[in-house]
Amino acid sequence: MGTEKKDHVLCILFALLFAGGFLLCLFWPKKTYSVSERRMLSTMPELSAESVWSGRFMSDFEDHAVDAFPFRDGLRQVKALTAAYVFGKRDNNNIYAADGFLSAMEYPMEEASLDRAAERFRYICGKYLTGENQVYLSVIPDKNCFLAKESGHLAMDYEDFERQMADKADFAQFISISDLLERDDYYKTDTHWRQERIMDVAEHLAHEMGTSLFGEYEPHILKKDFYGVYYGQAALPFASDELICLTGGDINDCQVYDWQNGREIPVYDTSILNPSTTDGGKAGRRDPYEVFLSGSLSIVTIKNPNAQTDRKLVMFRDSFGSSIAPLLTSGYAQIDLVDIRYIHPDLLWQFVDFEGCDVLFLYSTLVLNNSDTIK
Amino acid sequence: MLFSSITFLYYFLPLTAAIYFAVPKGFKNAVLLLASFVFYGWGEPKYVVLMGLSILSGYGFGLLVEKYRQKRAGKILCTCSVCMSLSFLLYFKYADFFIWNFNKATGMEIPLLRIALPIGISFYTFQIISYTVDVYRGEAAQRKLIHLAAYIAMFPQLIAGPIVRYSDIARQLADRKHSWEGIAYGVRRFVIGLAKKILIANQLGELCGIFRGSGEKSVLFYWIYGVSFALHIYFDFSGYSDMAIGLGRVFGFRFLENFNYPYISVSITEFWRRWHISLGTWFRDYVYIPMGGNRKGRIRQLFHILVVWMLTGFWHGAAWNFIFWGLYFAVLLTVEKIWLLKRLEKSRIFSHIYTLFLVMISFVIFNAEDLGQAFSDIAGLFGAGGIPLVSVEAVYYLRSFGIVLLAGGIGATPAVGSLFGKISGNPTGGRVLNLMEPVVLAGLLLVMTAYLVDGSFNPFLYFRF
Repeated sequence: MGTEKKDHVLCILFALLFAGGFLLCLFWPKKTYSVSERRMLSTMPELSAESVWSGRFMSDFEDHAVDAFPFRDGLRQVKALTAAYVFGKRDNNNIYAADGFLSAMEYPMEEASLDRAAERFRYICGKYLTGENQVYLSVIPDKNCFLAKESGHLAMDYEDFERQMADKADFAQFISISDLLERDDYYKTDTHWRQERIMDVAEHLAHEMGTSLFGEYEPHILKKDFYGVYYGQAALPFASDELICLTGGDINDCQVYDWQNGREIPVYDTSILNPSTTDGGKAGRRDPYEVFLSGSLSIVTIKNPNAQTDRKLVMFRDSFGSSIAPLLTSGYAQIDLVDIRYIHPDLLWQFVDFEGCDVLFLYSTLVLNNSDTIK
Repeated sequence: MLFSSITFLYYFLPLTAAIYFAVPKGFKNAVLLLASFVFYGWGEPKYVVLMGLSILSGYGFGLLVEKYRQKRAGKILCTCSVCMSLSFLLYFKYADFFIWNFNKATGMEIPLLRIALPIGISFYTFQIISYTVDVYRGEAAQRKLIHLAAYIAMFPQLIAGPIVRYSDIARQLADRKHSWEGIAYGVRRFVIGLAKKILIANQLGELCGIFRGSGEKSVLFYWIYGVSFALHIYFDFSGYSDMAIGLGRVFGFRFLENFNYPYISVSITEFWRRWHISLGTWFRDYVYIPMGGNRKGRIRQLFHILVVWMLTGFWHGAAWNFIFWGLYFAVLLTVEKIWLLKRLEKSRIFSHIYTLFLVMISFVIFNAEDLGQAFSDIAGLFGAGGIPLVSVEAVYYLRSFGIVLLAGGIGATPAVGSLFGKISGNPTGGRVLNLMEPVVLAGLLLVMTAYLVDGSFNPFLYFRF
């Protein structure tokens, strides 16, 4: 091709690209929610003299233009692949792939955050607990703990993390579970651990808290193509996980009450996996992992009518607690799950009776290392 | 509005170009002016009024200066025009700097004005000054307000230069040609500039941000930072200049080059002939030479250099580290002029290392929040404070950004350009390159769009669990 012809081709090609891009941006159907990114997308801002003069319209429009861009997910994948395979970046948006797993590079250890978490836990103990309560603390290592060393990514010193947390929360008996976990106990594309692989962790916790677990459970596939939160963040092409829950034993008979919304809920809320049956599509926006005890709720009470004990457990927890709590039900008549990221500890007296109960603080390193979310 | 944004690329640019090429010749400057006001007002609509006032003042003074330039009144009017332009700049950019320092010196507590800096004010102020001074020196004043306004507000070079002299494009404002070749050149230059900004500069900027936020500093990490920032600022700034030159060409203007591979320089003197050329020549022609330049003896010349470089530093930002940065170059240039320049000619390798090292140090000063941080960063480069030589974090990020750094290092030299030059010199190679060019540029645009689209990703949102 001659230079003159090339110039013509170049001009026409770019005229078409920019004009096509402009028309697509104008007429491409606008989504309000990104399933892969688990977030609401910016909507077209309101146009008014005030919003223009203040500059609000323009800054909001910039956000909207990016969020509403056609083929957004595909383009994010192009970016992730370019970063990984052209520029050799070892992580994309702090997420990396190693050995068929996606993980966040949680680093470095934020000691001030650990101090804050321990201080909040201490506050709860001081406000509500007496000498009769047995208090325990356990730390769930995030997936990076099992992947980073081999793959050459940055990782905290998890042993030091546990040691520091145990020292800072000296009012609680520390139960270490890190030796019971390995990378295969976590979803490949998600933050969380797999319920069907943590029975040993539940038994260990129960044993350390002086109770025993009974019953046999059956794995039940809830979703064959579960794409976890890291999948959306990494934007890399990746095989899906299977979302499996354990059923049977006492779990099937448990009654669960959601204090936040004042309603009974199932142990496994499968309705969120099927958006067509739900309220205005809102459930379709929820993370499939929320199938366990309906996800992020401030206070949930599980009652086991078949319990062979009258012991009660109050579990302060993050989202990891949602999947392990059902496995502990055979050891307790009642388990109250409290998420102090969504309710201030001062309000707990209205919902939770701490008298004579065991108290377990069960938190992932992800939350402890970013504890400003804890109230 | 930034060139490297979805709004610019897929809304503003197609719409502006479509209207521009659709209207008759006589309306093209009006379209450019209107588009430039939208472009400018997009960031801060209130400051369009300020720009309008600056343009009107420049226009009025231009006509008056032309009318009276043979008389003493012409000089007074020219001075008034310069003072008025500078007063806007001083108020909006430097008022808080002076108040802060006054408070520090006197112990008083005069409240800061906290005025948002009007985007591009440093550039368009210098353009207006150059216009009235050029008119005073004999250039014909622009009688058409729209033409002058289009020159001052022209969006391709409004926010990051190059500083276009009125005399350089006066004729093009009235009569310019649009050709396939010119537009194709403009598109190519724009896409390459955008790639420099998004694919190299932004990534190195991210690395600098990681360094700044890290609590695990090491000597290696300081050096990674120093090199990264030097490359970052070059690719960011020269990328913007490339985009400006490219866009100008699409709309029929020929802006002068602003960067010429500054990192291949073998002296600081040469570096400043290759770096931000339009600023350097502006200060030479409108400050250094009018002060007397080298015509009034060596001592006065050194004083002029000191003043010019202090002002150059101050132009870059209202903080002491910028002034110090300017003075740092004043000292280096003086030393070279008096003694070092001839010695540097003896060894190209040593001279090159010397230049790169001193330039890197200068940018460490430039990017510091204050002088204290500047000195602590420089000290860090030499291991002061007992920091380790190497840290795990530094090694990780060196690996992760290694290719970007390498690409930046190579891209900052003429190597890629001369390779393409050699290939295109061969008939077969030229044909292949011609065939590949549109595909590669379109591919680059796709990848850059992907980077922009991913830019709204915010990991913090994911702490919902």
